[in-house]
Amino acid sequence: MEFVLHLAPHLLNGLSLGFLFALIALGFMLIIGVMELINLAHGSLFALGAYVAMVVIAPGASWWGPLGKWYVAQPLTLRYVLALVVAPVILAFVGMLLEICLRRTYGKDPLYGLLFTFGAAMVIEELIRIVWGSAEKFLQVPQAINGAFLVGGLIYSKYRFFAAASALLLILLVWLFLERTPYGAMIKAGAHDSEMVRALGINLKRLRLCVFGFGTALAAMAGIIIAPIWGLRPHVGVDAVIPAFLIIVLGGVGSFWGAVLAGVLVGLAVALTAVYVSEWSLLSMYLLLIAVVTFRARGLFGKKSILEV
Amino acid sequence: MAPQPSISEGLVTRPMVILFAVLLSLPLWIEAVGLYQYLGIEIAVWMIYALGFNLLLGYTGLPSFGHGAYFGVGAYAFGLVQLRLIESLWLGLAAGILAAMAAGALVAGLISHRRGIYYALMTIACAQVFWFVAVKWHSVTGGEDGLLNVARPALSFGILSASLRGNTALYYLAVAILGLTVVGLWRFVHSRFGKALQAIKQNEMRAGFVGYNVWLYKFLVFTLSAGIAGLAGSLFAMAQKSAYPDVMSLHSAGLVVMMTLIGGGFVSFWGPVVGTAVFFLARDLLGAFTETWLLWYGLMFMGIVLFKPEGVVGAWQDLVRRRRTAGATKETGSLSHHRG
Repeated sequence: MEFVLHLAPHLLNGLSLGFLFALIALGFMLIIGVMELINLAHGSLFALGAYVAMVVIAPGASWWGPLGKWYVAQPLTLRYVLALVVAPVILAFVGMLLEICLRRTYGKDPLYGLLFTFGAAMVIEELIRIVWGSAEKFLQVPQAINGAFLVGGLIYSKYRFFAAASALLLILLVWLFLERTPYGAMIKAGAHDSEMVRALGINLKRLRLCVFGFGTALAAMAGIIIAPIWGLRPHVGVDAVIPAFLIIVLGGVGSFWGAVLAGVLVGLAVALTAVYVSEWSLLSMYLLLIAVVTFRARGLFGKKSILEV
Repeated sequence: MAPQPSISEGLVTRPMVILFAVLLSLPLWIEAVGLYQYLGIEIAVWMIYALGFNLLLGYTGLPSFGHGAYFGVGAYAFGLVQLRLIESLWLGLAAGILAAMAAGALVAGLISHRRGIYYALMTIACAQVFWFVAVKWHSVTGGEDGLLNVARPALSFGILSASLRGNTALYYLAVAILGLTVVGLWRFVHSRFGKALQAIKQNEMRAGFVGYNVWLYKFLVFTLSAGIAGLAGSLFAMAQKSAYPDVMSLHSAGLVVMMTLIGGGFVSFWGPVVGTAVFFLARDLLGAFTETWLLWYGLMFMGIVLFKPEGVVGAWQDLVRRRRTAGATKETGSLSHHRG
């Protein structure tokens, strides 16, 4: 019993970390499902979303004159909420631009899409470095979700709770969207059999454009939520994209709850190993993946997909 | 899309002569064109690395995205031999190759039954493990800083020995090893083994039905490719006089993929060589004008993936082919791909 009590905070920590990992993987999963494309730029879009949000929250006031001064004087909460809406929308357009370029690779080896997004990741990272510099930046958060509170003699960060709760909320919203709306049905059908979807008269071109935009917006959202915890460096994209693909492979391509479960498993693995060997905690997720995939070739709940051909 | 077997499969071909004429004379003129001796070493090392990598990407169609790991393992093994054991060139190189091959064999054993994107993802995950260990295992690898003050042992054949402390001397060693690699790989890809690899690239299942042990071929070629990366890594450790985890990162592994592809690794043996030269010239020439050269290089890469995945050599082949069809209209039907 004492052992369990001792581990309880770490389990909680792992669970919240797991929701965050699942949140990172969400947009990646949508794109891999419908487009059959590994979007290696996912992490860079995640980072770019957070940087854009940082500008929306605290723009250089000198640029815009009196209007800028008036804007910066507005309450932080308002600007934060605005950033949560505006940055993902901007990123959705960036994603759509990428998708339009990617059209040339459809029907070819999926490797080309992967290589293209790898190049895109590099370009976005360099752009971030040029615009914002290499130094670490911070994303401001409203006072209400900042700071810490005490439970049973242990200090918890309020923001981590806020982040985990919003991750959970977003996961549920995306699930409802996929399961309960006609658009979700189209996306799922597109992932299942794109030829048939086209035959039924659905504009596949537009569907792909929208899914890529939506997936990118989710990446940006994840970036904004996670940036205050991880900090903001141009390089942060790599830290995000690797867990994302790892979780998808672990959960199995094409399985929504597989990915969420994999996210939670990875979070728990990282948090629990951190208790005993904190230096090596991040290694546990790679080992978990290698162990699972060695025995279950398609991950936990994976279905057969184009990615194996 | 597989590299076409050429008619001229001699031991030494014309492009080899041209390449080595350029490389051997390089120290004489490189400073005159505003570059520096050390660049030559880097180019030769990365050419070895990219040529070995293209065995996977170009010849077998295996997307390995974590090849930096084996390059790094080679560098660390070389460094550890010099620092902990004995200052010896041959022992260091052998350790670099063998350690990388062992690491490669371990990974290949786990992933050789996979294909396509899953293969790529598994190579990334395994490479991250190596990178992570390199960063965290301070007592052996020196952590983030890596191994410092790695010696450049003398090149010795019994009683004859030559110092490699100067960059020019080390450059000639790197070029000599590159020469052996080029000739060896050229023979290798035109051997029965190489043909089997190309059959696997075209259709893995069919290659299996014909009777090839696909798993074994994939395992062996990955191990060999990792060994070549380890050889390049050993030379790199000597060039840098250190070994550090940066070269094992996903970023660095991506660079070798980009070089191979931009040059035209999908269609030609020489793709990786051309791509490496393009990369380093872009770095030093664009880098002289702008700090943001990586941005332009990345954009160029994106353009090549979309519009000309056959790369520089592919564009050259198109040009030659077009001139030939325009010139000799008589000989229709003899449009052999010019390679070699």
